[in-house]
Parts: sequence; structure tokens; C-alpha cells
Amino acid sequence: MIIEHDEIDHVTAAAFAAATGWDPKPEGLCRGEVCVPAPGSLRDNGTVDVYVAASRLGMPVVTDDEHAVTAIGPGSTTGHTLSSAAAPDPELITRDGQPFRISSLHGRKVLLVAWASY
Amino acid sequence: MHAELEPRGLTVVTVALDVEPSHTYQWIDAAAPTHPSLIDTRHVTGELFGFINIPMAVWIDESGTIVRNAESASIERSALRDIDIPDGLPERMTRMLQEVKEIPDDAAAYRAAIVDWVERGAASDFVLSPDEVIARSRPRGAAEAEAAACFELGQHLRSTVGEEGAIPWWRRAHELDPGNWTYKRQAWTLVTTAPDATENDLIQGPNDVYTGNWLDDVVASGGGANYSTRPQL
Repeated sequence: MIIEHDEIDHVTAAAFAAATGWDPKPEGLCRGEVCVPAPGSLRDNGTVDVYVAASRLGMPVVTDDEHAVTAIGPGSTTGHTLSSAAAPDPELITRDGQPFRISSLHGRKVLLVAWASY
Repeated sequence: MHAELEPRGLTVVTVALDVEPSHTYQWIDAAAPTHPSLIDTRHVTGELFGFINIPMAVWIDESGTIVRNAESASIERSALRDIDIPDGLPERMTRMLQEVKEIPDDAAAYRAAIVDWVERGAASDFVLSPDEVIARSRPRGAAEAEAAACFELGQHLRSTVGEEGAIPWWRRAHELDPGNWTYKRQAWTLVTTAPDATENDLIQGPNDVYTGNWLDDVVASGGGANYSTRPQL
């Protein structure tokens, strides 16, 4: 998750959930039925203290001071890349630049194959 | 494979982990795919699914559940494995081909496993439980998680301030997660490809920007035999 520093105190719960998969709620940071207690992460105005939230989820926070931008990495508390077998559903683009989500293929088996030009 | 298995319920989706979409176009256009052919300019699928080299794949069932985690996904034997390395090639090229020939070949078995899954669904012996999928997914500790953040930060800065913005963060990502080949190959090729080249440089040799290069890093990690995440079939 990339956050410009002038936005870091204004990250909404929805934006944090969309970027990380963890939904800030009064009871904690939740993914499906799993909630991690995270007092102080969700402010009364609906924004997220990303430092508190990242700490609770074991997410690294990396900052480039020169360019005033921060990246929050994935959690590492489970010790594995996957913390759930539910397929992540990032927005990708087609050859023509159109957005595409794998969830649009719900109901079919999907073989997702990674390749590259290098 | 898509044409063969699409009528039986499988959709092949290819995703290119390339920060420059234009670098993928000639390959996609040449293949003229009939399946969804996607581009991941942020390498977010690497972070989310565990792709650390290419080709790798995951299996996702009809309900959106991963039933096999990310693993090496060749479905046909590479011609490079069987070539006689010609005399007279530059030494580095010869050594690269020697390492390539050592990369394990699981293509036939992996392809057969996919066909079995399509035919038998959840009853296939190759389908894993959610707990198995999670347990078999790549270990991620603090270093690998920080590497992902560094790579993402570098990619963002490359797109906003230019190549120089990415370099220190991609160097750091390489240090933190040396087993992630997509981080390294992506970065190397951008600095070793000649400006007027029509294709990305695949040799990715020594350069003045990054410490590593393809051949020396492969050798340092144990050679071609250790280069891929072999499917545990």
C-alpha cells in the first residue's frame, strides 16, 4: 500500500481495507471472520492510524523521506504468504488497459499463470 | 491448454509481472490469446499469491478458493533443456545454458495434474485443503515482507520520479529477499537492456547498478537445480 505523506493521516477504513484486505472495524482489524484486536487503529472520524494498524498486523512500514511517500508491506504474522485460501482479487489490466478481476470468472476453474517479458 | 480445457470448465488466465506494459505487447500480440491475458505492473500478484519467479501458477476453484498454491508451472518441456550447447559461445552464455539445463523439468507431470483436476474436480488427488494451501505457500518472515514493501515503493517512485527513484529500494528488496527472482530479473533487465533493443535482455549480466546478475546469483543459490519452486505433486 502506497501512501503519500500529505495523505497519511487521512487514510479511510475503506481505502485501507481495499489495499490490505484487512477491514478496520470497532472490534479490530478484520478479514472474514478473523479479527485482530487493534485499539487505536480506527479513529472516531473513520480514518485509520496506519502505523498502529500496520504494527498490529506485522506489516512493515518503509518510508522514502526525500519523496515523502510510504509503503506498507504485507503482514508476516502467519509466517506464510497466504493467510487464507480465499483467492486474492487485485485489480489487474488487460492488454488494452481495461480493468479485470479474477473474481469475474467465479463459477469456473481458473489456472492463474504468472509470466514476464524478462 | 486453454483451448483444450476451456470447454471442460477451466479458464487459463495469464498475468505478466511487468512494470512496463509495453514490454509485454509483442509477446501477447504474437500469442493472440483467447483467454484473459493480464498485466500486473505493480507485481501485486507476486505479493498476494507468492509468485517469485516465472512461470508459476495457482489453481483457483469455482468458489474462488485456492486449491494449489504458487509453484513452478511449465506445461511443456523447454527446448533449451535438450540442446547441445554449441562451441564458441561466449563463456557466460555457455554457463547460463548449462544452468538452464539443470532446472528441474516437471512439465509433463504438472500438465497431467491440471487435466486430472479439470476432470475430477475436488476429488482430484492434486487438490489441497485450505490448511495445506496455506502451509505450502511460501514462508514469509519480516525480511520478505519488508522486501515487498521496498519493491512496491521502488515501483511507485519509478512511475512518479523515474528510474533513479526505484534503484535504492529495489537494491534493498534484493538484499532482503534474494530468493525472489521476479524482483531481481525485473530490475536487472531494465538496466541491461540496450535503449534501442526491441526485446528485454534475458542474459541480465553484471551491471553497474545492482550487485547481482542472473548467472552469478543462480550459481550462488545452488545452481539451476534450485532455481524453481518445484510442484509437490
